Amino acid sequence: MKAWYTTLLVVTLGALFPLSAVAQEPVRILACEPEWAALAEEIGGDDVIVHSATHGRQDAHHIRARPSLIAKVRLADIVFCSGAELEVGWLPVLMQRGARRIVQPGQPGHIMAADHVEVMERPEVIDRSLGDIHPSGNPHVHLDPRNIATLADVLANRLARIDPSRSDAYRERLASFQSRWADAMAGWQKRTERLRGMKVIVHHKAWPYLLHWSGLKRVTALERVSGIPPTASHLAEVFELARNSGTKVIIRAPFEPVDASDWLFGKTAIPVVELPFTVGGHPEAQDLFSLFDVTLTLLEEVQDRP
Amino acid sequence: MQKIIGFVRAAVMGLPVLILASAAYPQSDPPTTEELAAQISVLKQDYERRIAMLEAQLASLEAESRSTDRTDPPGVRTSMPARDNSFNPAIGVVLDAMVSEYSEEQSGIPGFQLGHEGERPDEGLTLGHSEITLSSNIDDKFFGNLTLGLGVHAGEPVELELEEAYIQTLPGAGLPDGLRVKAGRALWTFGYLNELHAHSDDFTDRPLPYRAYLDGAYNDDGLEVSLVLPGELYGEIGGGIFRGDDTPFRGSRSGREAWSAFARLGGDIGHNSAWRIGGYILDGEARNRSGAAHAHGDDGHGHGEEEHEHEEEEHAHEEDEHEHEEDEHGHEEHEHEEEEHAHGDFAEFLSDGAFTGDSRLYGIDFRYTWAPTGNARDRELILQGEYFWRDESGDYMLQEEHEECTDPSDPSTCEVHLDDITESLSGDSEGWYAQAVYKFLPQWRIGARYARLSSPDDADLDDDPYTLSTMVDWTNSEFGRIRLQYNRESFNGEDDDQIMLQYIMSIGAHGAHSF
Repeated sequence: MKAWYTTLLVVTLGALFPLSAVAQEPVRILACEPEWAALAEEIGGDDVIVHSATHGRQDAHHIRARPSLIAKVRLADIVFCSGAELEVGWLPVLMQRGARRIVQPGQPGHIMAADHVEVMERPEVIDRSLGDIHPSGNPHVHLDPRNIATLADVLANRLARIDPSRSDAYRERLASFQSRWADAMAGWQKRTERLRGMKVIVHHKAWPYLLHWSGLKRVTALERVSGIPPTASHLAEVFELARNSGTKVIIRAPFEPVDASDWLFGKTAIPVVELPFTVGGHPEAQDLFSLFDVTLTLLEEVQDRP
Repeated sequence: MQKIIGFVRAAVMGLPVLILASAAYPQSDPPTTEELAAQISVLKQDYERRIAMLEAQLASLEAESRSTDRTDPPGVRTSMPARDNSFNPAIGVVLDAMVSEYSEEQSGIPGFQLGHEGERPDEGLTLGHSEITLSSNIDDKFFGNLTLGLGVHAGEPVELELEEAYIQTLPGAGLPDGLRVKAGRALWTFGYLNELHAHSDDFTDRPLPYRAYLDGAYNDDGLEVSLVLPGELYGEIGGGIFRGDDTPFRGSRSGREAWSAFARLGGDIGHNSAWRIGGYILDGEARNRSGAAHAHGDDGHGHGEEEHEHEEEEHAHEEDEHEHEEDEHGHEEHEHEEEEHAHGDFAEFLSDGAFTGDSRLYGIDFRYTWAPTGNARDRELILQGEYFWRDESGDYMLQEEHEECTDPSDPSTCEVHLDDITESLSGDSEGWYAQAVYKFLPQWRIGARYARLSSPDDADLDDDPYTLSTMVDWTNSEFGRIRLQYNRESFNGEDDDQIMLQYIMSIGAHGAHSF
C-alpha cells in the first residue's frame, strides 16, 4: 500500500517538475565545422553530445542540406558555426526545416563565431563578378588561436545558461582549457617569430587569420575570383609574381583542388604544402592543439629548406 | 497491374506509420522500486538545485556582461552590415532561355492532357521561364515569398504567372519544435521535384510524369502543415488542404476540394553519402479540366458564349494548321490520321476532352547523393527516381463539329454545330522516371534519364510513351549554368529527336539549396 502512495507521489511530482529528469540529458551541440566541434568537446566534456556537420576534408562553403542535418538541428540545443555567411548555402535551410527554437538567431543556442571576434577582409564593394564573396568579411576566424580563446568563453557562458545545473563543470573545463591554451599560444608565438615575413601564395583566400597571427606575407591567390577555379591568364600572372617575389611556399587546404598549385610547383619548384586548415585535415591534427602544432611544423619544414 | 497498385498503395499508406514508429522517442518502462527511491531523492534535492541554478544563472549573466559574448534580438542578423536598404526584401531573378531543334513538327502525349508547362517547349530560339523572387522575414514569426514567373509561348503575349505567394512560420513563431505552417500559393510538397523551381532541375524539361500528371508542378492555393520528428534519423510528416484549381484539379466550387499527405525519411551512409525517401498522396476533384489547347477560356466556370467562340477559333486555327501540314507532308499525314482513328477515339477524349471527376495521385520518391571526396563541389553522383500512380475516373467531354444542311445539295445552307459528346472513362496510369547525374569535374556534369508512362487502358494505344534523355552541363559559378540536352521521345511509336541548348543564370539573392 505504501509503495502505491509513493508511486502516486513520484508520478505527480514528476509531472509537475519534468525539468529534474530532463536536466540530466546531455546538451546536444551541432557544430558546422570540426574546429568548433573540437572546442565544444573541450568545454562540454561528457556533459555534451557533439556532432560536426562537416569533416576535416570538406569545404564548409559547399555542403548539401542533408536530411540527417535537419534531424540534428531538430534535436540540437546549440548550433555552433563560423558565421559571416560561410554556411549561407545550407545552414538557413537546416534552421528553417529543423525549426528548433532554442538554436535560432538571438537565442542562447545560436553561436556564430564571426559575431564575437574581429572579422577581417570586409569587402568595400559587393558584386557577384568578384565571385562568391562574403559581404560580412572572411569567415575562417578559427585560424587565429586568440579567436579560439574568445569563443571558448562564449561557449562556456552559453552552456551555463542552457544547462545551469552543470555550470560549474563547464567553468572548470573552461579554466583548464584556457590555461593550457595560453601556454600553447606562448609556445606557438615563439615559433612564429622565425616564420615572420615568409612569402606565401594561397589557393583560396581562406588563410588571412593565420597569416595575420603568424606574420606570413601573402603574395597572391591562385583563385583570382573567390570560389571560381583559376583561369589560365590569371595563372600566368601568378607565375610571374611567384618567380619575382621570392615566394617560399604555396599553401592549400585539404579540400581544395590540387591542379593549380601543382601546376605552379611544376613551373617554379616552389613547394606546395597542404596545411590541415581544421581538425581532421591532417592525420596528426586531431584536436585544436595539434591543429596549430602541425600547421607550424609544416611551415617550419619549408622555411628550413634551402 | 492490380498487384503492383495494391503494393504501392500499401507502401504509401504504411510509410507514415513506419516513420512514426521508428522516429518516436523511446518510451521508458514503468519504474522499479529502486528507481522510485532514487527519483524521490532526486526530487528532494530539486529545490536545492533550483537555488543553485538561479545562482549560476546570475553568475553567468554577470560573466556575460564582462565577456564579448552578446545575444542578438530575435530576427536580426548582426553579421550583415547595416545599410539603408537592409530592410528591403531579398530580390532574386532567374534568367532562362534555350534554343531547340525537334525532328517532329508536332508533339503531344497521346492519352494525356498537356498544359502549357507540360508541353514540349517551342522550337527554335525561345525564352523559357524568367522568374522574379522577392522574399524576406516579415517579423520574428513569419517569412514571406513572392515568385512571379514570366512565361513566353510562341505567338502569345508574355504571360505573367503567380508561381508562389506564401507566408511560412519561422521557428520563432512559438509553434512546437519541428512544426511549420505554410499558407498561400506555393510549390507544395509532393515527390522530389514539385517543391523545387524548374530552374534548379538537372534536366531542361521535367520528366514525363510531371508533365502528364501535374502540368509541370502543383502550385495551388492552400495551406500545408509539416512536422519534423525528433529522432536520430530524419523523419517528416505533413499534409495540406488546397483550393483544387491547379492541375490535376480544376474548377473548384467550394474552394477546398483537394488535400495531400506525405511522409519522408532520410539519413546518411558514412560521411559522404546521404539518402531520402518519401511517400505522397494528392487527392481532389476536377471540373472541365483540359489541356493547353483548350485551357484559355476555361477556368471551370461552365460554358459561356465567349468560350464557345474561343473554342471555334481554336478549331479554325487547328484546321489551318492541318491544311498547312498536308501541303508539306501530303499522304503521310493522311495515313497518320487514319492510324490514330483506328486506335479508337478514346485516346482523343483523354487528351483533348474536358475531364470532370475524381483524381488521386500517389507517389514515392528516392534520392541518393554521393560525393567521393566529401565535397559535392568537386565530384558527385546523384541518383534520383520517382514513381507515380494516378487513380482517375470520370467523364471526358469532347466537342465535335457537325455540319447540318437544310438542303443537302446546297453547301450555303449548311451550318457548323458543336456537339458535346461525353464518355465515361478511366484515366488510370502509372508513370516513373529514374535519373543519374555525375559531376566529374567541378564545373562539368553529365546525366541520363529514362521516363515512362503507361497509357490509360481506355486510350487503347499500342505503345506506352517514354523518353530517354542525356545531358551535359557546364556551371561557371553557382549562379550560372549552360546545358546541352538530347531527348529521344517516343510517343505511341513515333520518335521525336530533340536537341536543346539552355542557359540558366541567376542574379541577386540566391536561396539556399535543399537536399
